[in-house]
Amino acid sequence: MILPTEQLTQILMVMVLATAAIIIMKRDIRSLIKTYAFQSLLVAVMALVFYIETGAVTLLLLAVVFIISKVWIIPHFMGKVQQKLNIKRDIKFHFLSPITALIVSLFILLFVYLAFTPLIAELNRFNSTLFTLGATVGVSIVFMGMIVIFTRKQTLTNVVGYLTMENGVVLFSLFLTELPMLIEILIIIDLIMLTLIATVLAFGIDSTIEEFHARLNPFSREQQTKKPEETTQ
Amino acid sequence: MIETLFSLSLIVLLIAATISLLGTKTSYSKIARRISLVLATTASIFMLAFAAEILLTDGNYSVLAYQITPTFQFSFMVDRLAAFFLSIISIVSVAVSIYSIPYVEHEEHEDRKNLIVGLMCFFILSMLLVIASFSMFSFLFFWEIMALSSFLLVMTDFEKKETQKAGIFYFVMTHLSTLFLFFAFLFIYLQTGTFDIAAIRADPLVTSIAFGFLFLGFGIKAGIIPFHKWLPYAHPASPSNISALMSGVMIKVAIYGLVRFLFLLPLQTWWGILILAMGTLSAVLGVIYAIKEHDIKRLLAYHSIENIGIILIGVGLYVIFTVEGFQSIGMLALLGGLFHTLNHAIFKSLLFMTSGSIVNATGTRNIEEMGGLIKRMPKTAMLFLIGAVSISALPPFNGFISELMIFQTFFQSSVLSNSFLELLLLLALAVFALTSALAAACFVKAFGVTFLALPRSHEAKAAKESPKLMIIGSAILAGLCVVLGIFSSQIFGLLGFSIAVPNMLFIGVILAGFYGLIFLAMREIANRNERVTETWGCGYPMQNSKMEYTASGFSEPIVTILKGIFRTQKTSERSFHDDKKSVFKEGKAEIHLLKFFEERLYLPVANAVKKIAEKVNSMQRGDVDLHVAYGFVMIVILLLIIWWFA
Repeated sequence: MILPTEQLTQILMVMVLATAAIIIMKRDIRSLIKTYAFQSLLVAVMALVFYIETGAVTLLLLAVVFIISKVWIIPHFMGKVQQKLNIKRDIKFHFLSPITALIVSLFILLFVYLAFTPLIAELNRFNSTLFTLGATVGVSIVFMGMIVIFTRKQTLTNVVGYLTMENGVVLFSLFLTELPMLIEILIIIDLIMLTLIATVLAFGIDSTIEEFHARLNPFSREQQTKKPEETTQ
Repeated sequence: MIETLFSLSLIVLLIAATISLLGTKTSYSKIARRISLVLATTASIFMLAFAAEILLTDGNYSVLAYQITPTFQFSFMVDRLAAFFLSIISIVSVAVSIYSIPYVEHEEHEDRKNLIVGLMCFFILSMLLVIASFSMFSFLFFWEIMALSSFLLVMTDFEKKETQKAGIFYFVMTHLSTLFLFFAFLFIYLQTGTFDIAAIRADPLVTSIAFGFLFLGFGIKAGIIPFHKWLPYAHPASPSNISALMSGVMIKVAIYGLVRFLFLLPLQTWWGILILAMGTLSAVLGVIYAIKEHDIKRLLAYHSIENIGIILIGVGLYVIFTVEGFQSIGMLALLGGLFHTLNHAIFKSLLFMTSGSIVNATGTRNIEEMGGLIKRMPKTAMLFLIGAVSISALPPFNGFISELMIFQTFFQSSVLSNSFLELLLLLALAVFALTSALAAACFVKAFGVTFLALPRSHEAKAAKESPKLMIIGSAILAGLCVVLGIFSSQIFGLLGFSIAVPNMLFIGVILAGFYGLIFLAMREIANRNERVTETWGCGYPMQNSKMEYTASGFSEPIVTILKGIFRTQKTSERSFHDDKKSVFKEGKAEIHLLKFFEERLYLPVANAVKKIAEKVNSMQRGDVDLHVAYGFVMIVILLLIIWWFA
């Protein structure tokens, strides 16, 4: 049976975009982590589809590694951390509210499309619109992950932002070039380390970076102006 | 053989620095720093021998030490000019190293003694290498090491507020200097495509821009007015052996840089005018500011500015006369400037070293609190006097000869066909003459108030003669002051320059004969009946040190004459017991001097920079999210640019 690869990939890409949008919007941390796991699964499936199409074993391996690490281990681990921290929702946002962030990411998608179309035309291996679209979606997801990082205050959601960025990179590389397997594995090890470190930080900093920063810099100007207030309280 | 002396000297210096630094905080620290200073002396003697060989034989020595890439290489070349400056550094280093052996022991903190010695070796080493550098890359590299090591040395007593201020001034100014040199070198590199110093040949506009940057860079380091402010702060704050090196030698490295590039670039008249104008301004303002100083080391620092001005006058005259086509007159001016560089290095280091001895003995830098030291420290007083006489340019000492050479160049300005230049030179000559006179007045004050009459404080009363090695170190330089003065025409002859300087040996003999005759005559004529009595004290029964002529009193007339420059404000408050204002109760009088350059130039600029820095700082709060947002915005902007241009 021949798979309708093109349509399938398009559907998967739209779904990945949708998950990225959900990650930007969602306040509930549990569902954020689940959405991330789903997104990783979608990327893994896409790699699988490509494997069937091209028959490159690397892609199969990639899919397997993805499912083990990003669909199972990392989300599982983060879920545990979330339970321990007992923080369920993101209340405060920086710079952009979720709705504005979504609108901004729409514009980003447009700009990336406009900017990248002429750039990657030469690199287009399959000579298809699918390729351009894939590259665009990949880069946009990197940007959306970045938005998640700087709009959220919770360390855990920041980590989800980093992970989303990485998914974007993988997506981009799937379409554009073949990322060597070794680098892919190294990136995943990095991700696992990142989540581990972030956990340490998350426990150490009572879940937001500001408080940790204040503790690190007892002599900063803000701290010194605050002190008299504390004593009066 | 002679080439090995060069590398040997550098290696020995490096070993000296290492030994001293390794010895810090061990039980061998004292012996380590002694060995290190002896090694530094040896290395300087080696370097002196090497430089003398090159100077006398008109030799040329070049070596490619190490190259990172063909563009960035450490290559050295020593010709006569470089050898001359190498010999200046090594002469002063020999004296300072000997002087430092007992001097560093006065430092309060045990663990800083070794640090001072080690850094001093690095400092000397970096200066030598700056001079020897052939590529602009290695020049800048060692220039920066020189700046950093001297900065650390200035900061020896970093706890003191005064030292911190000096450190900030020095750090900012020295890096401004490096920045401008960096601009200049980069500019030359962009024009020629190489960091080779000798490769500069370009059209007038390009070389003028390069010269502008170079002059700023070297000028700041040399301490020309208005970039001089770091000198009077950094010299008093640092230990005296370091002030001797910084004032005697380091600012001369900047002169070397300037002269070296003037040799390479095709000259233009306006450069000469600029150098001459800045030199004259520095000379006269330097000495005017020195007159009102009562801090002995700050006074000497202002005199460094004055002497740098004199040297620059020589260099400026060289450029003007050479461009106008009078090579031999230009050469006389340049030789005068360079000879003054050597002389100033010698007598200024001597003065800083002897004043260091005085400061150590009395515990104060304020000359008002000294007095009567000639009886307590006779040898130091004698050495200081030789330095003072040399800097005041009295014959037959060395300062006289070099200033005379510059004066002689001025006198030949009538050969110039350009009447504007002629007028300019005439004006500069007048100001230069004023400078020389004021310098002599200033040193009459410095020597008189410090050494003569009665002590004005308990510390001055209890002062003791300095250790033998400190005397020997200074005596070497004092001897050179005399030798370079008396044998000046022979020395120039030996180097192959025939210039019209008077034979000071002859004049010296005549002078000595005259003094002898006068002495004999006085002895014969004088009344032999001894009469022991006190000087008339205006009828006061007891004479004490309060009746002495003070430094403020001495300089007051000059300060009053020049009050337009000092911007003095005299305020006096008096109160009386009665209404008619006849019975005096109490009063207060103050003379306030405006620190013109600091209050009108440095602080406004510094405050503006500070404000901008605060604005920028508020953007950088150490908040991770904020920085990611910056990154995000930046990438979006880049995307927009790509989209726009693609």
